[in-house]
Amino acid sequence: MNKAIEALEKGHQLSATSFVLDEEAVARYLEAVEDEALPRLAQAEGKAWVPPMAVAAQALRSLTEEMTLPAGAIHGSQELEFVRPVETGERITCRAWLSHRSLRGGWWVLAVEMEGADESAQPVLAGRLTVMVPR
Amino acid sequence: MGKERWVVGAELPSLAKTLSQDKIDRYARASGDFNPIHVDPAFAAQTPFGGTIAHGMLLLAYLSEMLTAAFGRAWLAGGRLKIRFKGAARPGDVVTARGRVQRVKGERGICSVECLNQQGQVLVAGQVEVKL
Repeated sequence: MNKAIEALEKGHQLSATSFVLDEEAVARYLEAVEDEALPRLAQAEGKAWVPPMAVAAQALRSLTEEMTLPAGAIHGSQELEFVRPVETGERITCRAWLSHRSLRGGWWVLAVEMEGADESAQPVLAGRLTVMVPR
Repeated sequence: MGKERWVVGAELPSLAKTLSQDKIDRYARASGDFNPIHVDPAFAAQTPFGGTIAHGMLLLAYLSEMLTAAFGRAWLAGGRLKIRFKGAARPGDVVTARGRVQRVKGERGICSVECLNQQGQVLVAGQVEVKL
């Protein structure tokens, strides 16, 4: 659903989104970020873990698509808490809401709180991001 | 990595990555974030940045690799991060991720973390909390 920034009021709940990071997506991500530590750890523990920032990035992507941020939007800050490792193929559902919106020097400053949960509705990650959007 | 290693002042094992437009494009494909500030040189040239910049989440991926190497599963289960993006990373930059244990509070360690470019400019700065 497309929404203009002006129409996004504080407290606005974004539609829940869900995603799955399969083996191919995880391999593509690991190659892109050149992460050698996660595959080594996952192999040592016999797990097919998804890099935590891959989960966070996918969650942010679904949020920014929902908000339809315009070209030139800038990521200002990020808070994240990883509750447990996510395994390849798990479906994660994200809920998010706008916790702050203000105008500063020709830029919208938006803060979004988000929570990601597994198929049993158990939390896997939580976070808060701020993004600056040219007015 | 033994808990005894993580005393106040201990440095996390740093890592360095050289950015290129190809790597930024690859990250865009992997993350699905095709914001033209990252992948469209003509568009980015018209912005205050004057050229493309790396995704902030790519820099956080570098921090996460460092934290995975340092703390293992404890980073993936219970790790917390709070950072600000302070500067733009550009193609050609060498980005160094580094950190240091600031405090130990019970079983949890609080570390300062940052990403710097080759000129020592801080690109990302913040704190991480993890069970030791």
